[in-house]
Amino acid sequence: MADDKDVLRDVWFGRIPACFTLSPEETTEREAEPYYLLLPRVSYLTLVTDKVKKHFLKVMKAEDVEEMWFEYEGTPLKWHYPIGVLFDLHASNTALPWSVSVHFKSFPEHDLLHCTSNSVIEAHFMSSIKEADALKHKSQVINDMQKKDHKQLWMGLQNDKFDQFWAMNRKLMEYPTEEGGFRYIPFRIYQTTSDRPFIQKLFRPVSAEGHALTLGDLLKELCPASICAEDEPKRFQVMVHGIEPLLETPVQWLSEHLSHPDNFLHISVIPAPSD
Amino acid sequence: MESWKSHVRAELFHRDCRQRDPFSGLFDKVSRLEEMLDFHIKLWQSSSKENSNSTCPNEGGTLYLRVNEVEFLNQQLKQKIADLTSNIYLKEAELQYCHSQVARYRTEAVLLAQGASCLKSDLEEYEYQLECQSKELTALRREHSTLTEEMATTKLQEEELLERWLEEKKQEAERINKHNATQERWQRLAGRLKKRYRGRSRLPPCVALAANTNNSSDSKPKQVEHLASSS
Repeated sequence: MADDKDVLRDVWFGRIPACFTLSPEETTEREAEPYYLLLPRVSYLTLVTDKVKKHFLKVMKAEDVEEMWFEYEGTPLKWHYPIGVLFDLHASNTALPWSVSVHFKSFPEHDLLHCTSNSVIEAHFMSSIKEADALKHKSQVINDMQKKDHKQLWMGLQNDKFDQFWAMNRKLMEYPTEEGGFRYIPFRIYQTTSDRPFIQKLFRPVSAEGHALTLGDLLKELCPASICAEDEPKRFQVMVHGIEPLLETPVQWLSEHLSHPDNFLHISVIPAPSD
Repeated sequence: MESWKSHVRAELFHRDCRQRDPFSGLFDKVSRLEEMLDFHIKLWQSSSKENSNSTCPNEGGTLYLRVNEVEFLNQQLKQKIADLTSNIYLKEAELQYCHSQVARYRTEAVLLAQGASCLKSDLEEYEYQLECQSKELTALRREHSTLTEEMATTKLQEEELLERWLEEKKQEAERINKHNATQERWQRLAGRLKKRYRGRSRLPPCVALAANTNNSSDSKPKQVEHLASSS
């Protein structure tokens, strides 16, 4: 783990340059300038866009302002998915900066959850962490933590403090040496080509025979279409944090190092670019 | 290092070169300038309220602006120092945790070493026992093969003796049969003689005597001959 701390840092400090523009459907007092922001891949849209809101409110009439939401090329962006996942899923092969439209009206009730304050994000984040720990350690680690420890995890994410977050999160990444890994790997597989929001099943990091299972094994079992034969042209890209890990990468290592702060390994399966 | 791990590292590096690094400096600068602009606007608004009569900034005004700018930067620096201080505390806590982990692992290592030495001595003892037993096994095997050889010889002898015994029994049976046959013949002869004797003893004594005197010379050899032929 200590040797791979730089991987943890690279994952935490991953950024996506974004250009926020006010949707033309919004009525303004004067023309709104776009707002440029480097978005942390591991955070949530509504958690890091206070400045964007403040910027656009300057040109909006108070009566036209409802809950802010974001959209990319007609797709409403789910704030409860990490930013990196949204980018990999919808815009990974497009030109930078990522062009995101900002809306203050016509909230898409069927597509998005409401996010009235940061406490909603905190509740979502903490429930994801608890779910992940239930899979990894039967909730033993998260239940042994105190309220202030939970707060430290949240504050670490909210204030983008790597050390503060990892001082606590490392406890969630420990496992008995003799077991060779977590009980189950907390992961979610997102596909643009599917109607399902994501695939999530029980998957152990070690096989019954005792050898470490890999990303390839996971995909073969849960998303076989994403793997193509050697002689076939590549049809899908398997993205984690904006990169394509090799299929022989052990899932235990991926879970320890490439999980998001919510302790889930978010895997995006997107169509490979045609050129 | 495993190839998959170095691949992840390289990919993360390339990702940042592509996505973060070309924009980071520019975006930071824009954000700092925006902050400063906001601050200037606020300052200008508050100073324009105070000096509603004056229309153009004078030297005092510029100085006032500079002082406030420095104060603003000061505030930012203070914030940075506070952040760094809390970071130091965190690092100290992390260091303590690391020390406790080191102590834990050291104790574990000592226990494991003790266990290992116990296992080693057990292993040595077992090795010695194994050697003894293998020696014993070799001796027993040798003894076994000698005994097997001996047993084979004994079996051969036994068979020989058995054959001899059977032969002897056969001869004995023949002998007994012969003896029995002789016995039988003699008994038959004795019976016939008895019969003849009884027949003669029933005749009157003068006939019997005459017959005896007439036939005494030629009748006896005939009877022996007859007896010899009947035997």
